[in-house]
Amino acid sequence: MVEHTDELHPSEYFLQAGSIPSIWCPGCGIGTVVNTFIQAVEKSKIDFEKICVVSGIGCTGKVAYHVKFNSFQAVYRNPIKRASELKLKNPNLKVVVFLNDVDFMTSGAEGFIGVGKRGVALCVIYVNNFIYRIFIEHKALSRTPFIGTTVENNIESPFNIPHLAKSCGAQYVARWTPLHARRLMYSMADALQKPSFSLIEVISPCLMYYASNGIIGRSLDRVSFFYDNSIIKHGEPTENLDIRPPNKIIVGKFVDNIRE
Amino acid sequence: MKVFLNGLKVIKGEVFIMKDRCKGCGFCVTCCPMDVLEVSKKFNVNGYHFPVVKNPDDCINCGLCEILCPDFAIWSVLKEERQVVEV
Ligand code: SF4
Ligand code: SF4
Ligand code: SF4
Repeated sequence: MVEHTDELHPSEYFLQAGSIPSIWCPGCGIGTVVNTFIQAVEKSKIDFEKICVVSGIGCTGKVAYHVKFNSFQAVYRNPIKRASELKLKNPNLKVVVFLNDVDFMTSGAEGFIGVGKRGVALCVIYVNNFIYRIFIEHKALSRTPFIGTTVENNIESPFNIPHLAKSCGAQYVARWTPLHARRLMYSMADALQKPSFSLIEVISPCLMYYASNGIIGRSLDRVSFFYDNSIIKHGEPTENLDIRPPNKIIVGKFVDNIRE
Repeated sequence: MKVFLNGLKVIKGEVFIMKDRCKGCGFCVTCCPMDVLEVSKKFNVNGYHFPVVKNPDDCINCGLCEILCPDFAIWSVLKEERQVVEV
């Protein structure tokens, strides 16, 4: 057994020196997503000097600080547009965008639709924190001790991200939770190889938001709640992918084709 | 039975833990399929309970702890790999 060690983590080379332990809360899924992403890059054997990571604001925005790929944080205006400019100017780059709800909805939806329809080859990894209230009926959470932005049921209907992505022309659409780490890794490795617009949604609820309602359980319980309440259905039509209370969250790979 | 076992690989791994990076989320301890890890009673420099190895011989180098750890604090390496030959 080794407790103290001078050996280095296998992914150490891809991490910004001194940035770990990361800024994220203990047990937040974003860290796992970054770990998974680094392993996917190693696995897909892409020249890592060609990878550029773009992230937006908020917790997910900090991804650009932690990884040692070429990266920047688009704090002003939306990261998808910045990323697509980058990709159009340097077609050889493999541009990966890390988004959260706020990047996506407050300014990003318009950029997302435009970029998707033009078929710019971005790999979008969208970490759904369930903060932005239109993305989920919070009834889903009130069956459990975890309650999001509304204590009572939300009157708005949930928003179906994979369906939006598919309608915008994404050629690879998948959804996972962080605890599906291996499957997520293979999805990312696939998406990185695609010469087209691709989206991976990761259901990774913000733990602090649920903890701040005074119901503090272990972070692991909150993450594994979503793992336990998900069901894998590959190739499910994207219309059915709403996150609605009595039903389980459907995860899997939904769209995988290459634009001719 | 002999026929089935022949040629199978037995893999042993070794876990490394960088305890001062750990933030005590417990992903690795809960998700380890072989129940190799347990939560220590001690604290690390940041005040979190880090994992320690309970059954070092059981690790099969599956790498699940490595891929799940949000803080890159734990990883496994291949220690021994041998093929079962007909006994
Ligand atoms: S748990 Fe919430 S606040 Fe904490 S790092 Fe994750 S997304 Fe940010
Ligand atoms: S490599 Fe697999 S078996 Fe070994 S400690 Fe990690 S999770 Fe457990
Ligand atoms: S997964 Fe990483 S951060 Fe979480 S308890 Fe294990 S070693 Fe610590």
